[in-house]
Amino acid sequence: MSIAAEQALSRDEQDILQELMNIAFGRASADLAEVIDTYVVLNVPEVRTLKVVDLPEFISTEISDHDIISIVEQSYLGRFKGVALLIFPSGAGRELLNLFGDNVEDYGEDVSMAALEKESILEVSNILIGACVGKVVELLDDEVSFSPPRIIIEDHPRNAIPCEIFEPNSLATVMRTVFQFSDRNISGYLFLINSSESFQWLKKALNLFMEQYE
Amino acid sequence: MIHTILIVDDSTISRKIVKKCLPKDREFELFEAGDGLAGLEKFKEVKPDLVFLDLTMPVMDGVQALQEILKVDQDAVVVVQTADVQKKTISNVMDSGAFTLLRKPLSPEAVAEVLRLVEGTGQKKG
Repeated sequence: MSIAAEQALSRDEQDILQELMNIAFGRASADLAEVIDTYVVLNVPEVRTLKVVDLPEFISTEISDHDIISIVEQSYLGRFKGVALLIFPSGAGRELLNLFGDNVEDYGEDVSMAALEKESILEVSNILIGACVGKVVELLDDEVSFSPPRIIIEDHPRNAIPCEIFEPNSLATVMRTVFQFSDRNISGYLFLINSSESFQWLKKALNLFMEQYE
Repeated sequence: MIHTILIVDDSTISRKIVKKCLPKDREFELFEAGDGLAGLEKFKEVKPDLVFLDLTMPVMDGVQALQEILKVDQDAVVVVQTADVQKKTISNVMDSGAFTLLRKPLSPEAVAEVLRLVEGTGQKKG
């Protein structure tokens, strides 16, 4: 067994992290609903530990209903360290643009529809990733910073899903939640993928979180 | 007085937090269920004085469970505890007949206040 495997989260620790993800995504959804007139239907999040080398296949399977996707990738840096992937199926950018109440005509001839759709996805990702990661870390009494997001619009999953997030032989903890906008035909997938570098701190922080209830 | 409490939540951690937030100087008979349907069945079986009910659950979600519980007993006292704090969710839950809604994660203070309110209103028989 590798060092990383020995440090992987226990079942109880994964359960705590799943509940924190549940709380954090709930807050993030409420933040988003304040900005755009929508209602986010939440689902039960899932937490699992995977080999990094298996991540692309895992994510591809999760989103296998969609041939074309848009994806926002953003790293969060701190003791809680990893990569957030927010994935939308094809056409979501236009739907989100409508939710923001924006029309391409409002921006003049210099701004394309594609650019506006991209901006809409980035804005939603900024809220959902920022609020969700921020809340998880706040509950664990810590802080993170974010790298600039990277966005890929309307591409095949095999091209869009990053293959080399972390060291391929290490493990990663994957927090995954699926959500829908109730009045629009939009579903989305949020993955928070923590590197094994943060396992040791994360284990301590999760146990400290529960200790306040002992 | 509240003697029996049913905690319905798919998260074992969340159920544990609820139990830990109950006043230490009182004794309760506690029952648990891991989804809305199991919670409904357990409610019919034990007729608890108070229900803590999560919303986002598999099999049967919390809003449906709330409505079904109130069909069984329109005086049931159901406190929804949820991570989903969107305004529409809160209004939907309260319109469906919840006693109140608490944000996750619960705190001992919030739970003590709810017990005080429930017992103060005398809403539940016994």
